[in-house]
Amino acid sequence: MAVSVEAGTRVTGRVNVHAADWAAAVRAATQLLVTSGAVSERYADRCVNIVREQGPYIVIAPGIALAHARPEDGAHALGLAAVCLAEPVRFGHQTNDPVDVVFAFSSPEPDAHVGLIASLARALADGLADRFRLAATDEAATLLLQGVINDEQQLR
Amino acid sequence: MSGRKGVDEDLEVLTICGVGMGTSLIMRMTAEEVFKQLGIRAHVQATDVSSARGMHADMLIGQAMHTEEFMGRGPVVITVENFIDKNEMRAKILAGLEALGWQSA
Repeated sequence: MAVSVEAGTRVTGRVNVHAADWAAAVRAATQLLVTSGAVSERYADRCVNIVREQGPYIVIAPGIALAHARPEDGAHALGLAAVCLAEPVRFGHQTNDPVDVVFAFSSPEPDAHVGLIASLARALADGLADRFRLAATDEAATLLLQGVINDEQQLR
Repeated sequence: MSGRKGVDEDLEVLTICGVGMGTSLIMRMTAEEVFKQLGIRAHVQATDVSSARGMHADMLIGQAMHTEEFMGRGPVVITVENFIDKNEMRAKILAGLEALGWQSA
């Protein structure tokens, strides 16, 4: 990968998050990206609206959703966040509901995030979501996500 | 077919989703792993549904809500709902390859 994930990929994990519905769950995850400065509020809004417009295709596997929008929707930096929900929510997905882990990511330009996504895909196939569900604290959850970033950096 | 797809030349594969840079990329990663395991040459591109309409492909991979419109239009359509499960994807890709006339060794 030619991209350098500078000492900056903003990473935040939260556990035991309460969300009344799928939109609140997506907001909870994207808000972490907003707070860390990785994206604007507009990006966070777009993540929710994309699901309203296109349907729940972001539920990529049973129990797991991956919220994202396009770089031009307001992504300032590479960011990865995730929330583990206290109670699962339904996105209305045909086969993968209910969801209890929502990831959110951002990338400032199209090529920059391929490495991050590759690393995340590998980690997810490797059981990241289950490890995330077992995290007892926000710190432990954040460390798990940091592992995804470190893995990506090592492989370059 | 001059060369054999997947053997002499790349199988052209598109993974599709709504935005074209998140979920379709994850599908692409998983599909590439599967093709590598199967020893099949494939050029896998991740794209969004509207771009896919204008692109040539031998195989399309996506969720039901996105693949429906491509049914019966040429490419073999693979519908998956779990983007990180290599086993599900391998089984479906193999079924799709059979539909393309592929004979497994």
